[in-house]
Amino acid sequence: MVNPQPALAIKLGKLELAYPTLMGSGCYGSGEEFAPFVDLSKIGAIVLKSVTRLPRLGNPTPRLVQTPAGMLNAIGLQNPGIEWYLEHELHKYAGRPCKIVGSIAGFEIDDYAYVCERLAARDEIEAIELNVSCPNVAQEGETFGCDPDLTARVVEAARATTNKTLIVKLSPNVTDIVAVARQAENSGADALAVINTVRGMAIDVETWRPRLGNITGGLSGPAIRPIAVLAVYEIAQVVSIPIVGQGGIETLADALEFFLAGATAISIGTANFTDPRIPERLVAELQAYLTRRNIGSIQEIVGRAHVEIATAHQYEGDEG
Amino acid sequence: MIGMTMLDLRPRVAATTILERRELADGVILLTLHAPELADATQPGQYLMAIPPSGEAAATALAVYEAEGKRASILFFVTGKRTRELANLACGDQLDVVGPLGNGFDCSGDADDVAIVAGGVGIASVWLCARELLRRGAHVRLFYGARTAELLVETQRFADAGCELVLATDDGTRGERGFVTDALVGARKPEAIYACGPSPMLRRVGEIANGFGVRAQLSLEETFGCGVGGCWGCVVPLTNASAQAPNFPPAERGGSDVVYARICKEGPVFWAHELRW
Repeated sequence: MVNPQPALAIKLGKLELAYPTLMGSGCYGSGEEFAPFVDLSKIGAIVLKSVTRLPRLGNPTPRLVQTPAGMLNAIGLQNPGIEWYLEHELHKYAGRPCKIVGSIAGFEIDDYAYVCERLAARDEIEAIELNVSCPNVAQEGETFGCDPDLTARVVEAARATTNKTLIVKLSPNVTDIVAVARQAENSGADALAVINTVRGMAIDVETWRPRLGNITGGLSGPAIRPIAVLAVYEIAQVVSIPIVGQGGIETLADALEFFLAGATAISIGTANFTDPRIPERLVAELQAYLTRRNIGSIQEIVGRAHVEIATAHQYEGDEG
Repeated sequence: MIGMTMLDLRPRVAATTILERRELADGVILLTLHAPELADATQPGQYLMAIPPSGEAAATALAVYEAEGKRASILFFVTGKRTRELANLACGDQLDVVGPLGNGFDCSGDADDVAIVAGGVGIASVWLCARELLRRGAHVRLFYGARTAELLVETQRFADAGCELVLATDDGTRGERGFVTDALVGARKPEAIYACGPSPMLRRVGEIANGFGVRAQLSLEETFGCGVGGCWGCVVPLTNASAQAPNFPPAERGGSDVVYARICKEGPVFWAHELRW
């Protein structure tokens, strides 16, 4: 297929995307849910919902709460487990007009290696995202993403099973996300997804009870965008692998912020819940923006916001 | 359906125009939309996602109330920011929607004496169902409850269409005082039950149907994320043996006898006896 908009093509490791837009894991199902009214050939890739070694029922209800400029979710990695998934789900993804990225989560390092090997072996899957940062499963899930050394071990274990592109999705619920990013790169990650949801909670003041069945959840949407932009900006300064920026992207300006902060691609999640036309609109608007500014490729603007804090030092000097 | 022209029933994004706006009661809004494809494709009990004109998160799931000719309508209570935004739309304004969505009521079958139970804004989900049941010649009793008389909206429409009305209000200002399910318990046993309303009402309808020994179809409500089955945020426990159960291994294959089904995708209408809530 000839890409009508080569200026938007990007690469994440070996994964070549016609458009720099990924649909965030857990937000887009398998794509078939949106296929009746979205032109999937106009998006870069769908990141599938995370799959684990064993089936998981997921969290008790309610699982969603609307919050200012976003929402809390606590789905709890509901999925049928890798065996059932391979047998009954995956064949449906063949022939999608966009790339398919599998996502895996686990509770032991061995889980990641096992599921990664099984999933990456399938032709339908062109890359793997390692979800080491789900905030909604009791402790273990996010433990990996919160510890640079554990993250490294997960990435190494998965890396040993496949040559396909490995994207590591990082948690913002850490003191030093840059340290985790650095370790992920050193351990063989091809790209980083920045960021997963931010832990949060809402309480029903009528019933005096937490509003989520899981008590805590992950915050997404525009509410977390500045947190995500900062994480991308800081990580971009220390890693050389591409970053998939994500967190509350809805508009062209939002998307540009992430590219300028250092993201090679962007991921759209919660915005699909507001208007499923947003990904397609963003691609058109990005193309128009590049044309208007006479920029040959989206890659030319990646990281262009990086500046030194020079003026403050100069003032200090002047005063001295 | 072989040999017939198949309607295109797939959901789509449609730009609709507000043709009429009526405030049926304080905070109860009826918006009639010019939406030919939606009106054509909508089955009883289906819903749409209204894309917020402001673009502010997130879309709102609303039952399609009427669908006739080129017109479809939505009937909703103003309960928060998003429904207030919709309530502020005026004639001529554009409203983009995704729909029709979900698995609605199965109105086929040979039950001659059916009961429809509606609580509050649940009335919006049952008009098309009532119309379909009346069309095929069933006797329809509408058990309809609300907090107070003013909020029992559109009763005349159902009566004019041929429904027998049994009304109830919490404060006794119209019909029986108390829950509409109390009226259902003491009523003549129907052959089938259809219901939409708040969860406690639906649970009770399920119990009553069980007591009667009849099957009930319940239209559930929950906070939706994507509204199309992509996020698994709006779920309800369902027996894994249900034809509506999502793809999940059974207990003997390491899965479970009960699975969470998506209200937006597998539902919003479920068989009462298959729910495990």
